[in-house]
Amino acid sequence: MPYPAKQLWHLLIAVGMLGLFVIMIFCFTLGPANITFGETLVLLLAKIPFLGQLFDLSRYPETHQVILYQVRLPRVILAALVGAALAAVGTTFQGIFRNPMADPYIIGVSSGAALGAAIAIVTGLSVMLGMWALPLAAFLGAVLSTWLVYNLARVGGRVPVYTLLLAGVALSAFMSALMSFVMIVNASELQQIIFWMLGSFSGRDWSHVLVAAPVIILGIISLWVFSRDLNAMLFGEETAQHLGIETEKLKKILLVLSAITVAAAVSVSGTIGFVGLIIPHMVRLFTGPDHRILLPVAALTGASFMVITDTFARVALAPTEIPVGIITAFFGGPFFIYLLKRKKSNLF
Amino acid sequence: MIPHIAVEKLSFKYGANKSVLEKVSFKVEKGSFVSIVGPNGSGKSTLLKNISASLIPQKGQVFLKSEDIFSIKPKELAAKVAVVPQETMIQFPFTVEETVLMGRMPHQQRFQGDTPEDLAIARWGMELTNTWHLKDRLISEISGGERQRVIVARALTQEPQVLLLDEPTAHLDLQHQMELLELLQSLNKTGQVTVLAVLHDLNLASQFSEYVLLLYQTKVFAAGRPEETLTAHNIRQVYGIEVMITPNEMTGRNNIIPMARSTSKLHSGKNYRLHLICGGGTGTFIMDKLVQYGYQVTCGVLNIGDSDWSKAKSLGLPLVEEAPFTGIRPEIYRKNQELINRADAVVLMPIPFGTGNLGNLEQARNAGKEGKTIILVGNSDLSSRDFTGGKASRVYQEMLDEGAHVLKEPREIFTLLNSLSQQK
Repeated sequence: MPYPAKQLWHLLIAVGMLGLFVIMIFCFTLGPANITFGETLVLLLAKIPFLGQLFDLSRYPETHQVILYQVRLPRVILAALVGAALAAVGTTFQGIFRNPMADPYIIGVSSGAALGAAIAIVTGLSVMLGMWALPLAAFLGAVLSTWLVYNLARVGGRVPVYTLLLAGVALSAFMSALMSFVMIVNASELQQIIFWMLGSFSGRDWSHVLVAAPVIILGIISLWVFSRDLNAMLFGEETAQHLGIETEKLKKILLVLSAITVAAAVSVSGTIGFVGLIIPHMVRLFTGPDHRILLPVAALTGASFMVITDTFARVALAPTEIPVGIITAFFGGPFFIYLLKRKKSNLF
Repeated sequence: MIPHIAVEKLSFKYGANKSVLEKVSFKVEKGSFVSIVGPNGSGKSTLLKNISASLIPQKGQVFLKSEDIFSIKPKELAAKVAVVPQETMIQFPFTVEETVLMGRMPHQQRFQGDTPEDLAIARWGMELTNTWHLKDRLISEISGGERQRVIVARALTQEPQVLLLDEPTAHLDLQHQMELLELLQSLNKTGQVTVLAVLHDLNLASQFSEYVLLLYQTKVFAAGRPEETLTAHNIRQVYGIEVMITPNEMTGRNNIIPMARSTSKLHSGKNYRLHLICGGGTGTFIMDKLVQYGYQVTCGVLNIGDSDWSKAKSLGLPLVEEAPFTGIRPEIYRKNQELINRADAVVLMPIPFGTGNLGNLEQARNAGKEGKTIILVGNSDLSSRDFTGGKASRVYQEMLDEGAHVLKEPREIFTLLNSLSQQK
């Protein structure tokens, strides 16, 4: 048996969760500020109810507590959420489209979000309306572009996946052109826009976590609920219909769930590439194509991967931050190629 | 009794193209085995897709029992009707067992896993289709024939009341073709599963189905029991080929043996009608050839059971028949006369004449007098086959005097007819 048996699925998910937890703790302890490993652990344990009473925090500087609680902790959690969202949606889209090239941005989410963000930046909305203007503009851009693509692709009450893909590619190109134009005529904001597009968790705090977390967690769980239907979709829409699935309805539900989940992720982090494309493939090599196990493991792996890459982004050239989107592709790409060569199996 | 499936005046076209199906109506009784046959592009697969609610017809209705199929919820429908599509491309490495288990989806709740009962049913499906040993193999890595059987296993796992199959034997070798059809037949007989299959192979349709629907140019050309539907005449009209139909002693059904294409470029006999008076095997050879060359051949009066009679039957030729060893009755002669009247030429093969069939000869002579072409085949000295005390010889002589064509050997007829039909 090349893939883990069903009896091991629960174990696999538990291991994934444990792994993510350990990675999050470990990355939490790393950072440019000169805080020792022991101190980070104590400060973290102190936050646990009852157990926290055992620790005396007075000997640690106040600034360290602020750095750990207000800067690192929300950042690590947010990275995990975004990574999970991108990987889960990437998995879903590869399933719906039966296409290995599909990623969360395939139907225009990223270009829509980027256009929204760029408009917020150049019009000064992001300055006028405070910190939420930019994420909100990006979220609206992402959801609107998906809605537009869906309606463009509709042919007589049906939405064929190939039309959907092509409409997504076409609208993405159009919106990218618009955005390039916006960037050229507003050269002064060029750097800000590019940095946003490359993606980063720099400067994100608990409010970002509180906004994104419910949307992303609910989104991923809802997608998981449909994993058996997604399995049937892999056999083609006609077969799925013969197995009793209302494919048009299913596609609509999955697209809405995916669009909202990804939009939430993108709005707080920018358009981080690669994770949503490669993590699903990477995990599929080990779990097989069954979405009941693939989707949760991909989400957990995506989360872990994002936490690690973000930590690298903030630590490697400290105090300079590298946009995390650069790191994800820089290390993830070669690693994935290595896996591919070793497994010697075809992807799909 | 309400039929299991009723298709009523169903018309379908893809987009704005011309119709693929026009006013197709038929009924399928519960527990019957129906084949849909017809040439490429006759709408067989499209019809099946309409019946499985994959395609929605522009006009007409499909009923499952008395329920409109398009008003049934897809999940409920999938618990009643399973479909084996024409070709299943699967690139995803699911195991065979997982693939088959998907057939349980219509019976499962969303958050319900596979129960021991589900596993048992999947096993039953795989054992019936001889795929149980493949259960841990990957569906993407087994052969096309194995995959097809797995897909059938999945359909069985749906525990359907109706099984729709689109050319289920296309990827199977001879052994598995028979195995699959025997399986379908036994499910049909013992499980009361209604089977509706698009088949290309007319022999399989003839051997296994109780009812055959012959589609041609978007319409139902013929429908009924296989021996009524798959006749030489219908096959000639629909497929444009000549076939020989012989009974299969083992199954009690008919074998259909393709012979040649109906039209020939050398001969343009399409509009030339021949009436053949033969018997005892004298006409077997030329009957075949004439039909292949595209002549319209009729026969009469033949004795039932005679070798020429069975040949004409198997070629689907219009003929007049009479019980053997009895004289030919007047009403039979009248029917024969009707065929002669419609013919351009009457061909008389070298048969023996007794008082029982002298009328045949006289009818031919009369036709000659009325100006029809008469062709006499064989030795014109009738003494060895005249059992009428010379009456036959006299009639024969009259025909010779009238200027009938005389051919020493049967095969000469083709050259003669070629020139005659061209003159016409």
